Amino acid sequence: MISLEAIKERLEGQFGSRLLDRADFRDEVTYAVAPGDWMEVLSFCRDDPQMAFDQLDCLVGDHLPERAAAPFQVVAHLVSHTHGQRLRIKTALAEDPTLPTVTNLWPSAGFDEREAWEMLGIAFEGHPDLRRLLTTEDFEGYPLRKDFPLRGTIGGRIRTELKGKI
Amino acid sequence: MSEPATSGPATSGYISSTGEPEPHGYSVEVPPLEHRPTLDELKERKARTRQNVETTGEILTVSMGPQHPSTHGVYRAVLDLDGEVVVDIRPEIGNLHRGVEKLSEERTYHQIIPITDRLDYLSSFAMNHGYCEAVEKLMGVEVPARARYIRTITSELCRLSNHIMWLGVHIMDLGTQTFFCICFRDREYILDLLEMLTGARLTHSFCRIGGVAKDLPDGFAHKCRKVVEFLPKRVAEYERIVKQNRIYYRRAKNVGIFTSEDCFAWRVTGPPLRAAGVVRDLRKDEPYAAYDEVNFDVAVEYNADVYDRFLVRMKEIRESCKIIEQCLDNLPDGPFLAKDSVHTMQLKKNVMRDAGAMIHDFYQVFHGPDAPKGEVYRATEVPKGEFGVYIRSDGGTKPARIHFTTPSFYHGQVLPAMARGEMLADVVAIFASIDVVLGDCDR
Repeated sequence: MISLEAIKERLEGQFGSRLLDRADFRDEVTYAVAPGDWMEVLSFCRDDPQMAFDQLDCLVGDHLPERAAAPFQVVAHLVSHTHGQRLRIKTALAEDPTLPTVTNLWPSAGFDEREAWEMLGIAFEGHPDLRRLLTTEDFEGYPLRKDFPLRGTIGGRIRTELKGKI
Repeated sequence: MSEPATSGPATSGYISSTGEPEPHGYSVEVPPLEHRPTLDELKERKARTRQNVETTGEILTVSMGPQHPSTHGVYRAVLDLDGEVVVDIRPEIGNLHRGVEKLSEERTYHQIIPITDRLDYLSSFAMNHGYCEAVEKLMGVEVPARARYIRTITSELCRLSNHIMWLGVHIMDLGTQTFFCICFRDREYILDLLEMLTGARLTHSFCRIGGVAKDLPDGFAHKCRKVVEFLPKRVAEYERIVKQNRIYYRRAKNVGIFTSEDCFAWRVTGPPLRAAGVVRDLRKDEPYAAYDEVNFDVAVEYNADVYDRFLVRMKEIRESCKIIEQCLDNLPDGPFLAKDSVHTMQLKKNVMRDAGAMIHDFYQVFHGPDAPKGEVYRATEVPKGEFGVYIRSDGGTKPARIHFTTPSFYHGQVLPAMARGEMLADVVAIFASIDVVLGDCDR
């Protein structure tokens, strides 16, 4: 069993200034990395015996329109059963976001990435089966983006201000 | 129905220990009691019980669901079959997608509670509870002791109702109708308790930020005690009917083996993970509510197959009864809702009598509770596995992004890995054994 402090030290010792940001909030730690370092940091977290994050709890896409340069982010929540610790790693993405897939590290990311792709338009390179998951095949738009309206119907009564958005 | 006498002491019930060859080409093993297979043994057993799908002939594609009764809802699995051997499965979900996360972004933290009911509608309170734990972590709300105990009791009642319902449906999938009715009759006692406590049988919406909606009603403790004393006897009867039934044993034993390594990689949590010999239970590992103040054992089995998932759930029912009894014994006095007017609702009985309470009630209903800026993730152990809630808050009364990491979402994804190389009829048993509810899966 290794404490969260030791895990922080190990990760910071390995990557140093490539970890762009660290946030400690409510006993949870969040690291921000560049999209280019995404694969390297995550595979280090999984494979290093002092980290041993053997489970990806979830991979969440997010939209922050107020952050104009990088309006998208992907957040990975890792769990280590060996050490009983949790870690959150996120990366900020610009418009037309793409990120390498982590399905080769944790196969459970398959549905997560498909969901992030259909809901936010974040493409995952190398994903074996990047299709729509929860919405219909002919659905247009990215529902979880903040500019997507909450109300409105397709086919029946369409509010004119929503034209082109749904 | 009796077995021909074999050498050695007679095995109890109907389990055959003759080792006669099965149609699969392997024989049913009766492992000695307390034999715990190692990971390598399990891997070897997994390889042995699965058919080789590389040498395939003509492939037949069959669509199972979304209206198939054994898919427990609107799950659709497209099966590629070679004869009766499953070569590949493509799961199709989303028929019950309601956009829960998008809806939640437009609501205040109080208004999201009824939405979480509709995730896993067979254990609604556990979902309310998991969500409220996450919000309390974000806002730093201290929950009074009595509320923590009431939450524990209600969560465990949901676990009982969920597992009993699961058992009935699982056994019905494998061929018997009567047992389904037996389980539904027993589930009714628990639903009566939940109705007495929360006023609803299915979607409770009973949890509140900082506590619960109501105190325990008069006579609840007495009635609850009677049920939890009665249920372990019923579990013994379920086990007498199912555990040593030859048909169930052969359809469940060594079917759908999924080792602990596979479980971690595919994020399989809850009873299927514990059936693979992993002592992992968030009630112990990351305790919440009153779980660190009661004594209970984590239910673990070691063979990682459908049969052991059944055994784990039966053990969990017994442990839940123990937890409820201890909570009723040690139930502390005091308030059942935190006195924190910035984050919690006021008691309705005070609103019309007390000016301060009325102002705070007005504030909570029309404005909502204020959250600090930051992001939290809180996972709790719901009956189906680990339920995580990720909240990113920019401050204000609504979450900027909320994500529900539901166990069934990953359990729906894992079916191909779990059933590839098994027979077609085993898909039904395997799918039932991981306990997918589609409201939970599609969100």
